[in-house]
Amino acid sequence: IKDLKYADSHEWVKVDGNSATIGITDHAQDHLGDVVYVELPEVGVTVKQDASFGAVESVKATSDVNSPVSGKVVEVNEELSSSPALVNSSPYEDGWIIKVEMDNAGELKKLMDADQYTKFCEEEDSKH
Amino acid sequence: MKVPRSLQIWRLGIVNYSDALKLQEKLVSDRKIHKISDTLLSLQHPPTYTLGKRRTDHNLLISEAELKKLGAELHYTQRGGDITFHGPHQAILYPIISLRDIGLGARNYVEKLESTMIEIASLYGVKACPGQKGETGIWVGDRKIGAIGVRIQYGITSHGLAFNIDPDLNYFKHIVPCGIADKDVTSLRRETGNGIYEAVEKPAPHVTYSKEHQCHQVFHLF
Repeated sequence: IKDLKYADSHEWVKVDGNSATIGITDHAQDHLGDVVYVELPEVGVTVKQDASFGAVESVKATSDVNSPVSGKVVEVNEELSSSPALVNSSPYEDGWIIKVEMDNAGELKKLMDADQYTKFCEEEDSKH
Repeated sequence: MKVPRSLQIWRLGIVNYSDALKLQEKLVSDRKIHKISDTLLSLQHPPTYTLGKRRTDHNLLISEAELKKLGAELHYTQRGGDITFHGPHQAILYPIISLRDIGLGARNYVEKLESTMIEIASLYGVKACPGQKGETGIWVGDRKIGAIGVRIQYGITSHGLAFNIDPDLNYFKHIVPCGIADKDVTSLRRETGNGIYEAVEKPAPHVTYSKEHQCHQVFHLF
């Protein structure tokens, strides 16, 4: 999806002013399998770019979810506690995971745009 | 382009759960900074019950005090999956591998763990298959013979699989194994009625695992 930015750990971020909405990509949810549990951070915690802030569980595997940007968590998607499968069915919309107030918009430069991310996924998938 | 990968295999014998956990954490950190190659731990645990990240302790049917009287320990972990039991004569493999380096996702990785166990079972004439949707693991009919619980951090795996060669199945009576009521737990011993499995515990899991993951070189330590 255009105008989102992407991390190489397969999270996306949608920026609106200083606010960043974060989730995992369609590629990520497909490679994970059916998500049965999402571990959400508490509102108010700080997150750092490339560091883990929570996890998802699928096929008996817990996978860390990393933040593409640094800042403070201002909202988490409580819906995911009762409907974790939203991450699979709607990874860019209803399956959003957290909203962060960014403290350094410059970090966005380190992320990929849609075309770069698509290419990145193709390269990764061809490794095996 | 396929880059040759190497896999170090550590055969550890019986290791306490906490010690194995600390070792895995160190190996994951080292693997993350490329200090080590992919590593596979092959071991057994003394009687130990473990829970996953979801902390489903409603599936533990006895108190922790009663559990200790049985000579077992209880551990809460960050792996996926529900409650399970580990004990002597259950073969455990903990692969510490970088999924990112090989572009593999959680689902494919877990499927490979399942096929590894299916192949081990078939070496001994036991026909096992993966579970139905949502029941990750290995089954012989509706009896579970192998369990999986994995953690992935920085794209690197820890924890792994547990395959029942000949553990004391009575320990499973005190839990709802993997949160699945009304299904039995079984072992190679129960399915074949055979005797000694020393040979199975050591070479077979490694060979099968290495084949599954197409590793070019294998090093044995210890």
